[in-house]
Amino acid sequence: MATHHANAVLPDEPEKATLEGKNKILGFWLFLGGETVLFGSLFATFIALRDQANGGPTAQELFDMPIVAWSTFILLTSSMTSVMAVLALHKKNLKQLQAWMTVTVLLGLAFLCLEIYEFNHYVHLGHTIASSAFGSAFYTLVGFHGGHVAFGIAWITTLILQSLKKGLTVVTAPKFYVAALYWHFIDVVWVFIFTVVYLMGMIGGKVG
Amino acid sequence: MGAGTHNEEVRKPKTEHGGVKRHLVAFIGSLVLTALAFIAVGFEAVPQGFVAPFIVALAFVQALFQLFVWMHMDQKGHEFARISIFAGLFFILAAIIVFVYWVWV
Repeated sequence: MATHHANAVLPDEPEKATLEGKNKILGFWLFLGGETVLFGSLFATFIALRDQANGGPTAQELFDMPIVAWSTFILLTSSMTSVMAVLALHKKNLKQLQAWMTVTVLLGLAFLCLEIYEFNHYVHLGHTIASSAFGSAFYTLVGFHGGHVAFGIAWITTLILQSLKKGLTVVTAPKFYVAALYWHFIDVVWVFIFTVVYLMGMIGGKVG
Repeated sequence: MGAGTHNEEVRKPKTEHGGVKRHLVAFIGSLVLTALAFIAVGFEAVPQGFVAPFIVALAFVQALFQLFVWMHMDQKGHEFARISIFAGLFFILAAIIVFVYWVWV
């Protein structure tokens, strides 16, 4: 369809209108499969080492439910706002797309600030990456997730800036779509982090 | 910024993937599942030894919810996505079993 006059009329589902766009999405799913394995191995390490606190503070002593609940709520909401952004993309409404993506980025920033505060708090309690096997596994897993959030914030921000200049075309649409997939994936990973790391840490005791 | 001009001639898409409603249902579903997990732990609402399996099951349900609804994995043309994610999950389960029951016993 309108590959050559992308600026005239945007086709339906512009993210899949070109072969390049389709391939981008396909390749991104392959990347997400790899990310699944990567986070999976970090989870496996964490689950295996989570009781090895080396005399330092244990998960049960450290974790605080309100902070985790807030982080979870913020990230879940940001996943919802990126869904709204994709819906705006399908309506070909650039202004709405940019607005929802901006909200997503702001929520991501809030999440990140909370995480930085939390890590800082733990370090003051003597729970560092070097203090125990539990500490190493914890900061590697949760920090890696936080790193993904930070990368996502930078990525989506640059996409918004680019779209201010280039508008919504068959070139920019796949970028937004793929970024939304990435953001959902980060939230899916967080579902397992709050469950396995935080909630199961609060229960305490050996599992498995 | 001059970019909005060609977006004014908005055409109606053929399909809207169930629209906002489906996604809102997934959002509320996720909120409820999350709340259940927090309540199960915070208020000790579930028998002791059963809490961990219960919240892990909730996490899996929520993850599938989000993968299939928000990330459109339920739609046609997402066979490859399913293969990627489920292959990834398979390796994760293998890794967890190996790490927990074999490497660090």
